[in-house]
Amino acid sequence: MMLEHVLVLSAYLFSIGIYGLITSRNMVRALMCLELILNSVNINFVTFSDIFDNRQLRGDIFSIFVIAIAAAEAAIGPAIISSIYRNRKSTRINQSNLLNK
Amino acid sequence: MDLPAPIHDFLLVFLGSGLILGSLGVVLLPNPIYSAFSLGLVLFCISLFYILSNSYFVAAAQLLIYVGAINVLIIFAVMFMNGSEYYKGFSLWTVGDGVTSMVCTSLFISLITTIPDTSWYGIIWTTKSNQILEQDLISNSQQIGIHLSTDFFLPFELISIILLVALIGAIVIARQ
Repeated sequence: MMLEHVLVLSAYLFSIGIYGLITSRNMVRALMCLELILNSVNINFVTFSDIFDNRQLRGDIFSIFVIAIAAAEAAIGPAIISSIYRNRKSTRINQSNLLNK
Repeated sequence: MDLPAPIHDFLLVFLGSGLILGSLGVVLLPNPIYSAFSLGLVLFCISLFYILSNSYFVAAAQLLIYVGAINVLIIFAVMFMNGSEYYKGFSLWTVGDGVTSMVCTSLFISLITTIPDTSWYGIIWTTKSNQILEQDLISNSQQIGIHLSTDFFLPFELISIILLVALIGAIVIARQ
């Protein structure tokens, strides 16, 4: 059936996102992997809403909330990264020691 | 979406392979600008996938917000902070990467062994069958609008306040 395939696909996206979030040395790439994780959550919401809850559409509404939170995160994240880049001339995660002064 | 079964399966396999290759490209490509475009491919495939699963409003929102706004913002951030430091150390494979790949592979394997064992269809069909008559009267977007303005009114207002605060904070941080 289609449901298990979609759940496997979203589990794959989630684990790839976790892997990239931990191992990436670039902050912008870490933001991209965070978007992957949020999208895997959204796929699960929309699939369960399509198959199990065909009238109430609560999964669609919750996925819209997740999209709004991701938009807020994508507005905040590059602002912080550009502020760090202006002070440090680098966007590597292991070199950001701004609290060290 | 009311498609014949072979076309539906073909589209599902096509979108799935696009998702798998695109997400591998997001993580593994050495240049961040290529991984940003690969992220755009992944988000576009997810939007087409929402169309396949009858959620047209979420598909439109995904296409507008993710591909149109977030991906463009990420590409702008990559181009704004593109230095020569990206090309130095992409070939080194440390112990931490191996440990993390092992942990993530075991997480993925445990998830995909849990998924077929769960009886998903034992929890459905309780609320769906008696309300199937009024389902066809109004469309999907109208139902989402009605629910957003009645049941989910307080979270909707909270989300709008969070977006406003996040935009003001981003401007204040990036302005200096």
